[in-house]
Amino acid sequence: MSPSLWGLAGVLLAGLLLRVPIGFAMIASGIAYLGMSGQDLGLAAEQIGNGLYQSYVLLAVPLFVFAAQLMNAGTISERLFDFCRVLVGRLRGGLAQVDILVSVIFSGMSGSAIADAAGPGLVTLKQMMHQPGYTRGFAGAVVVASATLGPVIPPSIPMIIYALVSGASVGALFMGGLVPGVLMALSMMAVVQYIAVRRNMPREAAIPWREWPAILWRGVLPLTLPVVLLGGIYSGAFTPTEAAAVAALHALLLAGVIYRALSWRRLWEVVLESTRASAVITIILAGSLLLNYAFTAEGLPQAVAQWVENMRLQPVWFLLMSNLLFLVLGCFLDVSVLLLVFVPMLLPSVRALGIDQVHFGVLVVLNMMIGLIHPPFGMLLFVTKALTGIPIGEMMREGWMFLVMLMALLLAMTLFPQIVLWLPHAMGYVTH
Amino acid sequence: MMRSIVSRLTCVAQGLGGGLFVSLFGVFVLQVVSRFVFDRPLPWTDELAVVLYVWIILWACATMVPTHEHVVFDLVWQWASPPLRRVMSAVAHVLVGGLCCWALPACWDYVWFMSREATPVLDIPFSLVFMPFVLLLISLVVRSVQGLIRACRDDVLADVPLPEGEA
Repeated sequence: MSPSLWGLAGVLLAGLLLRVPIGFAMIASGIAYLGMSGQDLGLAAEQIGNGLYQSYVLLAVPLFVFAAQLMNAGTISERLFDFCRVLVGRLRGGLAQVDILVSVIFSGMSGSAIADAAGPGLVTLKQMMHQPGYTRGFAGAVVVASATLGPVIPPSIPMIIYALVSGASVGALFMGGLVPGVLMALSMMAVVQYIAVRRNMPREAAIPWREWPAILWRGVLPLTLPVVLLGGIYSGAFTPTEAAAVAALHALLLAGVIYRALSWRRLWEVVLESTRASAVITIILAGSLLLNYAFTAEGLPQAVAQWVENMRLQPVWFLLMSNLLFLVLGCFLDVSVLLLVFVPMLLPSVRALGIDQVHFGVLVVLNMMIGLIHPPFGMLLFVTKALTGIPIGEMMREGWMFLVMLMALLLAMTLFPQIVLWLPHAMGYVTH
Repeated sequence: MMRSIVSRLTCVAQGLGGGLFVSLFGVFVLQVVSRFVFDRPLPWTDELAVVLYVWIILWACATMVPTHEHVVFDLVWQWASPPLRRVMSAVAHVLVGGLCCWALPACWDYVWFMSREATPVLDIPFSLVFMPFVLLLISLVVRSVQGLIRACRDDVLADVPLPEGEA
């Protein structure tokens, strides 16, 4: 490692420990690297400006953020809740089952776990906390676990970022996440059923048959969105970025025109919230452009690939070690940092070992979702605590079965790549 | 007086950022409608969308997003005592502000240099496209000076998140 790379690492580490926003710490450390290696500091503007200008696929991020915020502001979550209550509310622990089903549907429209927890998650959480059969720790744990479906079931913001760094097809990644997402949802429902039966949790009151059509009709319009989105992307009718715009337009028409649940003032607030949220995500990406320039100039990814090659690892052992690495790092670092700094370092090794990049991408995203619900940096735990006041310890005590189940699924997907790759291949995507 | 100027500037910053975001959305809707409804793809929408995107992200980070909304690693901060937090805050501001200040002239030179090149379809000079990065660096320097003064003056205030929109 050259002295300038040590300088970069030192400034980055100091910035993180001193609570500098991660994106700014990355930019500062990149500047330190350029200065110490005697390069033109204007390269910072060149790398970040050009990098953002050429990242067309990333335009989907602000638009999906906008779509999710619109859906949350436009009572779409509440309508989906009623819709799912009709379908699975009569199961024991019905509200928890409803939460998981709502998350599955919402995941098909948004690409963000945080948006899922803060939107439909909060709607069911409030209902569960008013019922005596549900402890608040269990309610929080279900919401946190089901929110991880958001970025695994397409569309997915982390998958779009992964596509950018790896060059893998966004469409193939989206299709690759579908089967794992459905398996996750079914496993979560099984865990809820097991706990609900053991604790004799309540069922939801039966809804009279004559009310069914009205409730189903209220919820069916938002359901058209996933069909349009995935159908559009898969048929090649529109790009993932255009799909994001269609999602936002769909949500805007539903919330503003059809449901009339959005005032002009609220709409402007949603625009400002979306602008800020998009900036927070993307500034980390901007910083990582500078870091990756430094890493590439120093030959770091190639060095990691060489090191892996020297260890003569089998692909499956490499994947298991990567899982372990991301699970540990995910306890401390944000999803975007892992995707933008650590994944590019491993990609040359992934290619050299002949591992499918779509398989690796879906594993990485699932890994990161586990990191989101794992202390001490489990962002979803913090968001849910901030929104509801449920202590993180209580959610962890009640949620460990979900965590174990997700890890078991991760292991299964690592050992059997076809779980991930079957659907993209069946739909004609060529992955490598 | 000062407070009213800051509040007006905040409104302008938010108005511009929100306006850019609405424009981005509008450009995409126009692109999709033009292609699917009228079967006439527009050649300039992709380019304008990317330029708007660069502006939205860097402008919002420079002027709209308060520090406490950013993603931070705060495990050490949570364990630190108030006097230690004060020192940490001061060192952080010197580090970030100093490095951004160091890079500012060279980045300005690069952005100015790029005025001789323009985007292929709309002919927008790249100096205009990349300008918000310079604004971001200026904003980080100003924020750091403000933060440093706060950290030196009062250890409690240094822990309070910046008010929304304050740059």
